[in-house]
Amino acid sequence: MKKLILSVLVALTVVATVFAGGASESQSASSQDSNTLTVWAWDPNFNIAALRAAEALYQQDHPDFSLNIVEYVYNDIQTMLITAAEAGNLSTLPDIFLMQDYQFHTYANRYPEVFTSLNDSGIDFSQFTAGKTADSNVNGNQYGVPFDNSTTIFAIRKDIVEEAGFTVEDFMDITWDQFIEQARVVKEKTGHPMITISGGSEIIIEILQSAGSGSPVVNGELNIADNEVLYKAFEIYKTMYDEGILVDYTDWNEYIASMNNGVTGGVIQGCWILASIEAAADQSGLWRIVNIPRLGDVEGATNYANIGGSSWVVSGNANTELAIDFLRSTFASSTELYDQVLAENSVIASYLPAADSELYGSEVEFYGGQSVYADIVEFAGNVPAIDYGNWYNEIRDALNVALTNIVQNGADIRSEMQAAEDTARFNIGL
Amino acid sequence: MTRRARSMAPAYIILIIASFLSVFPLYYMAVGATNTSMDVTSGRLLPGTHLVENFKSLISNQNLGVAMWNSLRNATVITLLTLLVCSIAGYGFEIYHDRRKDKLMSILLLAMMIPFVALMVPLFRMFSGWNMINSWMALVLPAISTPFMIMLFRQSARSFPHDIIEAARLEGLSEIRIFFQMFIPVMKSTYGAAMTVTFMNAWNNYMWPRIVLQSNDSITMPMLVANLKSGYVVDYGMLMLGVLICTLPTAIIFLCLQKSFANGITGAVK
Repeated sequence: MKKLILSVLVALTVVATVFAGGASESQSASSQDSNTLTVWAWDPNFNIAALRAAEALYQQDHPDFSLNIVEYVYNDIQTMLITAAEAGNLSTLPDIFLMQDYQFHTYANRYPEVFTSLNDSGIDFSQFTAGKTADSNVNGNQYGVPFDNSTTIFAIRKDIVEEAGFTVEDFMDITWDQFIEQARVVKEKTGHPMITISGGSEIIIEILQSAGSGSPVVNGELNIADNEVLYKAFEIYKTMYDEGILVDYTDWNEYIASMNNGVTGGVIQGCWILASIEAAADQSGLWRIVNIPRLGDVEGATNYANIGGSSWVVSGNANTELAIDFLRSTFASSTELYDQVLAENSVIASYLPAADSELYGSEVEFYGGQSVYADIVEFAGNVPAIDYGNWYNEIRDALNVALTNIVQNGADIRSEMQAAEDTARFNIGL
Repeated sequence: MTRRARSMAPAYIILIIASFLSVFPLYYMAVGATNTSMDVTSGRLLPGTHLVENFKSLISNQNLGVAMWNSLRNATVITLLTLLVCSIAGYGFEIYHDRRKDKLMSILLLAMMIPFVALMVPLFRMFSGWNMINSWMALVLPAISTPFMIMLFRQSARSFPHDIIEAARLEGLSEIRIFFQMFIPVMKSTYGAAMTVTFMNAWNNYMWPRIVLQSNDSITMPMLVANLKSGYVVDYGMLMLGVLICTLPTAIIFLCLQKSFANGITGAVK
């Protein structure tokens, strides 16, 4: 009997010893050490690489400084924020975390305690693209330092449009009507669709944003059913879908393959798609970048939008002074840093002065010598600010359902818009 | 073709289709691990020559060794403790059962209906209140006692011959010795089944470990796989290799314990 109890005790001690090395002793995720900042971010080749570069830059003046970067996928960062905020224990939050732009309003309104306002941080936010700055500005508080550029671009296969008798310039600064007319010809002469997409409603959101102040789906209150801009966006989408000018893939892999395998004549997406396009090295010299089409008959509509992208947040559990100083000295002021991360990690800045550097102006061989980076930052400067309020996800879901019904079941656009508004209202609890 | 073969043909066709549907994703995963990202997205179904490169990118991108060790250690320890705790509980509920214990068992079974998402915030509140976030206790404690496992052992204990217990008691064996020296050896196949299920659950568990272990050193294989597809650009060849490596240990455990798994689930006493 004693032997038995002894062996169970030994087993439990072994267990404890085995685990003791695995997890750190500290409960708090934010750093206890006054020279270390804990940061939550995702993507080692992009966001985390940029953090490492920023750390090295900051260490030049602060040799004792270090970053403790914990890799979390974005969904997990959201889960952690919600769990900590709901449990009323923010001590597990890091000093800085990365957040997708479209969700700032949702989270900052529900859990303002998770964020630190950067209004008095000394960071000059007018140096960032207006569209991105607006995304992380909630109730007058600036909660995010804009990071990567997510301007929507129209990447075009020069050889395919030329085969149909057009030039790349024919697709620059045009309206959706002109685009559809030209894309019809491309489809007829070459058989290629002019756009492929994955996940339908993204392009609807981009059209809405490009229309600027004429479009808000949230303008004090939900405005979906009687939204004329939204109606036009659905109409454009349906026309393109029906005529085969646009192909929508449910699978992201197929979507990427449609670019890499030469299926499509172009793609409209956030500029972060460039890395996927460039994966097909055999297509070097064939691609060009232009701005997206605009709504011709909507006042104030532009050829610019943005989708995806994220910003740095100083958490409600941060070593605030150090975290702000770090962000101010790196992502909010250093063109040197942006040059480095562009060269090494293809990160395009939303910090406008970055575009003036020699590197941003350089000609990129893959795009036939076009200065794509400078062009993209220039596009970014024109993206109108738009506010989706707290309900981005709910609106997006409702629009997705509407879009599927419209293009696949031939449903009436007006009645689907009404249904989308009803669904969104129900889900939001209005 | 004989009549019998003809009559069996439809069954074989259905079985072949079903086997294909089960095996094809595994094949695709294995083949994908040897191809470039471009090949995977273009749907190549033949093995390629990119396995070594994928492995190199995987280990340069993620801490594979640490993740593998953490997963193996966590899953092994959780499995051993779960088997110990749940089998004692199941045995107790059945062998010493009375009306109050039966009621308690019903409450435990009701707890099975509560999804983990609903427990997450209260659990987090509890463990952060005890200052136990980032500790192995926070990882292990919620995992080692599951209503399903207790029920499985209770059901098995039902088929355990009570005569053995009576005989052992007459021989002067203590209750704990009866459990360890009589029950466990007889119930090997149930332990085998429980071990397979628990190990797989512990290995694949993602959400809770992710929440309570907030450091890069605590990364497990499912977290590693999640990290592989979090970027703007996903290397699908590397991702497939990551998934393949993540799947292997559970597949090996399952194959080794396949027989006792089937016996254990059906409640066989040897």
